[in-house]
Amino acid sequence: MKSPTWLAGSIFLLLLNLSPWKSGLAQTPPPGGTTNTIPNRATANFRSTPGGTLQNTNSNAVQVIANVGQAELEMIKTGDRAAAEPGDTVVYRLLVKNIGTATVKNIVVKDTLPLGLQFQPKSVKGSLTTGSTTTEVTLPQAATNGKEILFTYPSLAGGESLTIVYAATLTPDAIRGNGRNLAIPTGTGPSGLPIVGNTASYQLQIRPGILSDCGTIVGRVFVDKNFDGEQQPGEPGVPNAVIFMDDGNRITTDANGLFSLAYVLSGYRTGTLDLTSLSGYALAPNLYRIEANSQSRLVKLAPGGLARMNFAVTPAFQEEGR
Amino acid sequence: MRKLTASCLLIYGVLGLFCPGVAVTVPNHFRAVVNSNRDGAIAPDDVLTLREAIALVNGELKLDQLSAAEQAQVELLQFNENPPITAIPPTQQIDFDLPKGQTVIRLTSLLPALTQPGLLINGTSQPGYDSRRSAIAEGEIPVPIVQITPAEGIEISRGLTIVADEVHIQGLSLYGFTARPRSTLLTPPADIFIAHRQPPPDVGKQQPPANFSPFYPDDLPPRNVVIEWNWLGIRPDQTLPTPTSAFGVSVFNGQETIIRQNYIAHHDGSAIISSVRADNLRIIDNVVVGNGIAGMPDAIRLEGMVDQSRIIHNLICGNDGSAVYLFKTEGSVQIQGNRMTYNGRRLRRAAVFLMGTGHQVTENQISHQTGPGVVVAASPRSDRNLILQNQFVRLEGLSIDLITGNQAGVSEYQRGDGPNPPRNRRNRRLDTGNAAINAPKLTRVAFSTLDGEPKPAITPIQIFGTADPGAEVEFYQVTENSSAYGPLSQPLSRTTTNPEGRFTTTLDNLPPGTWLSAIATQPDFGTSEPARNIQIPLPTGETAAAIVPTPQPELPRCVTSPLPPQPPEALPPPKVPIRLQVPQNIHFALDRDTLSPASAAVLDLIAQVLRDHPTIVIAIEGHTDPRASDAYNLDLGARRAKAARNYLLRRGIAPERMTIRSLGERQPITPGSSRLDYARDRRVEFTFQDARNLEVIIQATDLQLEPAKGVRE
Repeated sequence: MKSPTWLAGSIFLLLLNLSPWKSGLAQTPPPGGTTNTIPNRATANFRSTPGGTLQNTNSNAVQVIANVGQAELEMIKTGDRAAAEPGDTVVYRLLVKNIGTATVKNIVVKDTLPLGLQFQPKSVKGSLTTGSTTTEVTLPQAATNGKEILFTYPSLAGGESLTIVYAATLTPDAIRGNGRNLAIPTGTGPSGLPIVGNTASYQLQIRPGILSDCGTIVGRVFVDKNFDGEQQPGEPGVPNAVIFMDDGNRITTDANGLFSLAYVLSGYRTGTLDLTSLSGYALAPNLYRIEANSQSRLVKLAPGGLARMNFAVTPAFQEEGR
Repeated sequence: MRKLTASCLLIYGVLGLFCPGVAVTVPNHFRAVVNSNRDGAIAPDDVLTLREAIALVNGELKLDQLSAAEQAQVELLQFNENPPITAIPPTQQIDFDLPKGQTVIRLTSLLPALTQPGLLINGTSQPGYDSRRSAIAEGEIPVPIVQITPAEGIEISRGLTIVADEVHIQGLSLYGFTARPRSTLLTPPADIFIAHRQPPPDVGKQQPPANFSPFYPDDLPPRNVVIEWNWLGIRPDQTLPTPTSAFGVSVFNGQETIIRQNYIAHHDGSAIISSVRADNLRIIDNVVVGNGIAGMPDAIRLEGMVDQSRIIHNLICGNDGSAVYLFKTEGSVQIQGNRMTYNGRRLRRAAVFLMGTGHQVTENQISHQTGPGVVVAASPRSDRNLILQNQFVRLEGLSIDLITGNQAGVSEYQRGDGPNPPRNRRNRRLDTGNAAINAPKLTRVAFSTLDGEPKPAITPIQIFGTADPGAEVEFYQVTENSSAYGPLSQPLSRTTTNPEGRFTTTLDNLPPGTWLSAIATQPDFGTSEPARNIQIPLPTGETAAAIVPTPQPELPRCVTSPLPPQPPEALPPPKVPIRLQVPQNIHFALDRDTLSPASAAVLDLIAQVLRDHPTIVIAIEGHTDPRASDAYNLDLGARRAKAARNYLLRRGIAPERMTIRSLGERQPITPGSSRLDYARDRRVEFTFQDARNLEVIIQATDLQLEPAKGVRE
């Protein structure tokens, strides 16, 4: 298949050369920002027949008006605390600064809250800092879209900074999230083009607090002499007994036969006494409670709670149940 | 009855009270003669069984419920008019007159507990009993005739249960009392069980105990129970019973118990074990051999309140763990004049492990242990333990080892932690056994200059050294070169340090080249670890080997037959090589620790070799294939080694000739991973020691391949 160019047979090469006649874009704009005019002209050349002479043609000159003043947004986000628990209120502080020279209009700060933080619309306060003076300003009602909050502000001249302060409350959901939020400012520059600032983030350490998932397991391995499963005076603890948890954690008892395990995920936890770690002892019968006649203990560990796993042993005549 | 009335009048009369209902509550005093080895339900028939006799003396069976033939076996005991109150004769007595050839009483169920104070069960009354004929040369332990054991296929957890004061058990053979393990164990089984009434606990009658006290005020321990001249856990022909007994004497709760001149052997657990109270326990002149083969490995395991107990002049040999282990005991124990040898067969433990305060270990002979001699724990705090005048031979560890740094790991509670550094802070006193008393330091040995004539053949030497100020230093001769610290072979003399901690002493009759060590003792702290050995300088040109005596090798055996009186058996001359064709390993099925018939045949061959060559001792090592976890395989290897060892025990090989250990998956035979390689890895290896120039064939007739299932051939 032949190209349309070949078929036309007249134009073999078209070069378009677009060059500014006056180069001013790369130069630092004068203070205060000025408007420059950049004339521009295109040139094309062609051959009318193959092998014919090269002919030139020029376009008309086009004037491009360039606003050389710069507008740039910078944002810092902080919070009033590093760690919080569900039920706490965190006060966030957003500082949007126009570090450029031109005015930025239609500023929109989009703040994405972490999972489980609830925005408090009535807490929003704004202040504008020009030079060294700070004045309080009234911000328009912030729009929310799911976890996103959109703060708007009409315009920010070069060097001015806007502080937005707002509060958010931690809901119980927060412990599922990562505690990091992101804010990004956008605006319209002097030329009408959008300006996007840096993304600011703030990491909040979220502690489970009263909603803690973890609990503590304590227990003991001891020589039971009255077969009731409880350690009483005269019933010594067995050192170096091994207890395996359902997640594979291996716990050994201390010289007094005691052990404790912190930060255990709540729920139903199982611990098993490793009988091979007890040379010369085996499980003691419990004549009072059938449930305790087992090598393993099942405990229901409430979040933040404490559960006990006691193992009663007695001198063995047959180790390991054989 | 008259006697009791008299004593009642005496006691209550002094107190100004009247006698409460004596005639009604106190039963008659009987002497019942058991004349049948039958057992079963109590019935008025033609013979008196042991069960009927016990029921009769307990008062559960009235005399008029017996048949006339049975009543003829019962005699009412009469007491003298003025019996001395302090010497209480047996108020009840059960004697034996079993027909010849029917001396084994096979029990069909648990015997009733012995509830009558002052009961004597007298196996020595059986006709034919010879109290002068001892079966073994190591102790005066006559052979019993009356045997009490469970009937075949019947599980009975206890032989005799003693819940009353002043009960004497004499001259019986009790064996085979154990229980099949359930999901848990049972309450303690034993050949002889001593506890308070309703041994623990009858939940139908007792509420759960209070938190502050495990027992009730009326759970009174029986006092003055005497166990003597019995054979426990071993048949009178010195063979292993099937099943083996669980524990020998369980002094669960008993005061002033006396265990004297018994032969206690081949129990799954300990020979003698205490639990709640065993104060003033006397363990005297017993022979304790080969216990702990499946459970608690220590021969004498004391727990609980054991104040003023004494373990004196026993032979403790060939047991699987320690000879004496005091586990978190209260009160002090005296361990004196015992011979402890070849212990630690299965678990390499100290011969004597001490926890607690004020124990005395004196004049014992501790030899051929697979662990250290005496270990003093750091936790719980243990001090003021005196360890003096003992002899240590062939140990794997220190003669005396004090745990330091509050260490409480597995090996510290078994084998000790080796020589301690000198005390560097006051806090060491708190975290080290025997309050961190420093071992003495022998700095210099010099020949003392003599003024007088005639000059002795061996020049006396003078030793200089340092120890804690005020400590008493005991010097020992060291006749082995197995360690830099001892072993303390022969006690020599003592001296005391001056206030600066220096000491010096003069020792006679020690040839040049002799190695010496020492221990320091302070009554407030205890006895130290041994000092680093020092040698008496040799004259120039002589070598030590010519001078230092080496201990005579001895046959590894616990007990010997005294009949006929024979000179001590001479060892075969060590120069003659022993050539053997003997299999070296047996194999196991996947994840199994049971012996196949082929493996058993191999073990029979090994047993025959051991019988033919009494000098050979073997080390049994369990191995597994490399699959499954390290910890699991170590345990599996231990079980395999134990299975092989226990089979050889049943074939009559003495426990003191075998040690076992597990290597798990650490030493596979081949690096391969085929089914055949794995089958070769699953093995128990036998290492023949003391068998010089041994020729060994590698056998593989009992390989047990796992079924082909996704593993490369």
